[in-house]
Amino acid sequence: MIQLVQVLLLGLMLGGVYALMASGLTLIFGVMRIVNIAHAAFILFAAYLAFWAFKIYHIDPMVSVLFTMPLMFFLGMGIYKLVFPRIGESRQFTSMTVLLTFSLALIVEGVMGFLYSGIYRSANPPYTTRALLLGPFYLPAAQLYATLLSLILLGVLFLFLRFTRTGRAIRATMQNRTAAQIVGVDVERISTLAFGIGMALAGASGSLVSFLFTFFPAKHWQWIGTLLALIVLGGMGSLSGSVVGAFLLAVVAAYLGHFYGPTWSPITFYLALFLILLIRPQGLFGKKLEA
Amino acid sequence: MLLAVENVTAGYGAGPNILEGVSIEVEQGKSYCIIGPNGAGKSTLLRTICGLLRPRSGRIIFKGEVLNGLRPDQILRRGICFVPQDRSLFPEMTVRENLLMAGYSLTNKRELEDRIQAVFEVFPALKERRSQPAQTLSGGEQQMLAMARALILKPDLVMLDEPSLGLAPMVAAQVFESIRRLKALGMTVLLVEQNARKGLECADWGYVLDLGRNRFQGPAHMLLRDPQIAELYLGRRMDTRRREQSRSPEQGVEGP
Amino acid sequence: MPENPLTEEVLDAREEAYLRPAAKPTVDSRKFFLSSLLLVLALFPVLQIVSGQFNYWLHMLLFTFMNITMAASWNIIGGYTGYISLGHNVFSGMGGYVAGALLVFYGLSPFLTAPLAGAFAFLLGLLVGLITLRTRGSAFIIATIALVLLAKLGLDNLELLGGTNGVSLPLPPLPARVVKLPFYYGMLLTAVGAVYTSYRIRHSKFGLGLRAIAQDETKAEVAGIPTSQYKILAFAISAFFPGMAGALWAYYLTYLRPTIYFAVLGAAEVVLMTLLGGRGTVSGPVLGAALLVILNEFFVAKFGSTELNIAGTGLLMLLVLLFFPDGIVGTLRERRKLPRFLDWG
Repeated sequence: MIQLVQVLLLGLMLGGVYALMASGLTLIFGVMRIVNIAHAAFILFAAYLAFWAFKIYHIDPMVSVLFTMPLMFFLGMGIYKLVFPRIGESRQFTSMTVLLTFSLALIVEGVMGFLYSGIYRSANPPYTTRALLLGPFYLPAAQLYATLLSLILLGVLFLFLRFTRTGRAIRATMQNRTAAQIVGVDVERISTLAFGIGMALAGASGSLVSFLFTFFPAKHWQWIGTLLALIVLGGMGSLSGSVVGAFLLAVVAAYLGHFYGPTWSPITFYLALFLILLIRPQGLFGKKLEA
Repeated sequence: MLLAVENVTAGYGAGPNILEGVSIEVEQGKSYCIIGPNGAGKSTLLRTICGLLRPRSGRIIFKGEVLNGLRPDQILRRGICFVPQDRSLFPEMTVRENLLMAGYSLTNKRELEDRIQAVFEVFPALKERRSQPAQTLSGGEQQMLAMARALILKPDLVMLDEPSLGLAPMVAAQVFESIRRLKALGMTVLLVEQNARKGLECADWGYVLDLGRNRFQGPAHMLLRDPQIAELYLGRRMDTRRREQSRSPEQGVEGP
Repeated sequence: MPENPLTEEVLDAREEAYLRPAAKPTVDSRKFFLSSLLLVLALFPVLQIVSGQFNYWLHMLLFTFMNITMAASWNIIGGYTGYISLGHNVFSGMGGYVAGALLVFYGLSPFLTAPLAGAFAFLLGLLVGLITLRTRGSAFIIATIALVLLAKLGLDNLELLGGTNGVSLPLPPLPARVVKLPFYYGMLLTAVGAVYTSYRIRHSKFGLGLRAIAQDETKAEVAGIPTSQYKILAFAISAFFPGMAGALWAYYLTYLRPTIYFAVLGAAEVVLMTLLGGRGTVSGPVLGAALLVILNEFFVAKFGSTELNIAGTGLLMLLVLLFFPDGIVGTLRERRKLPRFLDWG
């Protein structure tokens, strides 16, 4: 019994980080109907930045969030402005975004591989080897801190979206783009902003990833599969859905990994993806994904 | 002349023209109804005026300024408020949040609050439901909310696209009542209606569009009585003489 | 503004003119070009038999034929039907593994089992299509990425076939001078098969239905086209020749390894080839495949490193998507400058 709860806790510890990763992707899709295949690649990019900051300047990865977020925010807005206005309102818009972001992912991967080579990296601040004891359960310190930070950031995001004028404009654009235009929202500006925020979330995720996992340039393909499964499960375009889906799948993966071995964890997410598409394409909370 | 649409052509994407040179004029303080068969371009016309669609040729002049090429939010700030066919509410936001969003372009928070209160006076049913998500409202209430949003902005011109669409007759009657209330408040209303009879009944002037072109226009009450228009667009009137005629072999039905 | 409105008559006339076989002189010049090209390609290996110096060229050509097979087949689902598959090399990979397994465990030569590998890929396509083609556009694309990643993971864990390290295959029993020849002809035949199938589909009612689906699936459904069946069939067909080519390629490489066979980059290159040449045309994928092989060789010769290769592929794809979405053949056709010998449909 204790084993089972322990596994549950381990799953929940990771769920927070997955939720953070997924939230950026969901925000970008929700506001602009862009399926950002490059999201995990950008997370990795931020992870490399955080890693080098740790290695060379001894900046704690959790602290690095303070610069990865703003950096990715501006980078995101720049990329959005550069790449996406051209495809406008073509009928196969969402499919086009998949292809475009796919190319972006390749570019980022190639550049990272060139700059940092394919060696496996991982930052290792002191807390990666520590664990907290909670009764009979142990909580790895790294995962705990990461999830707490994720929850804080997600909380800030929630407050921003709920209670500020701009946040409301973003939510409005997510719910009904035409209506938002009609009430006077400059949807282009909001879209650029939303992309920036999504990237900032990726930046924060990257900082956390740098000490939670071992990574190398091609690893983003593994994560993007996971993330896409997450948001398809939660329902693309639903932030609450992606958070719930993240915790859910993290726990399921933890159990499968515990009973069947570590290689089964990633497979969970892909199988989940196919299963969901088969049974309930619109996910738990969301709208159907159209062309 | 508040709004002048001069010989406008428009279409969607790379597709063919939906509007083939349409012209209408809207005077301040009056109400207008545009009727016509499906595909005539009525909704397209409204979408073009409010900036969701760009005119391919022709001009749209509002308060002396040419609107061609402006974004919808820019056109909104100039005083045109558009209530689309699907009402375009924010489904997961509450009634109050929807009204807050309606006032997005207003910078004065106090002013916005006052207007929201004023709107609740006009539509007390909405006040009751102010914390409910918009998607939980009934069809008629959603339409009310859509119009309430229009009121928040105190626009110079309100454009309504098929407000009674999909609503049961009794609920639709509520909607037309609300439109009459807008009129009474002195708003300039431009209405597109599938229910031509009801639509013309709350308008001063009517336009008939067909296949993207102007067909007829005139005072609304005259259009209602015109037999030709009745036959073409309002559905034939059943009166006893016609029922008798239909018993005998036919050469088509003519006007009474 | 279009000159004539899109009425039924206009559409019917355009479709008729399209399906009507081209006027005589055009057919002759294209047939001439194709027959002479095929003749040259068929006789080319003689040079190798005679002089022994042409192995590199044989390699490049058969590699090109393989790419042509992949691109032309991908075009059936990605070009004609408009459903982008970003994991298409899963079919060539699985074909390779099936043939490889049959070779290792039963001693059957992949030259015999290639059609079987193709059939396996076809069935896989049917199965996957049944699951994933219930969704539209972008969900399908995501599913194809997941498919190739899943295949890689699955085979990484399959100790029977070597897991992540893969397994070596026995070498074909031929002297070095002529060992490439059967592969050359095998790939050539597969490529011809793929392109011919693409051509026949393009000029058939099935192909017309596929293009209707690409334009507007809802309208196609309403018009009575059995969209689900068509889509799934197109996907399955698009898997067959890659399956065969994969089988031959495995024997040619003489080993099976998941990272090589199921690399996302490979899938990206297939898409890029077709986009570059011209999606939805018959000659586009052929041109794009040949062009990409040449570009690749050039870049590797000049710059060498592999990571920038990835970035370069991505960049090229991005540029083509943004500025050149119809590809070479597509753009030329738009501007009515398409030379006749490239106009196969």
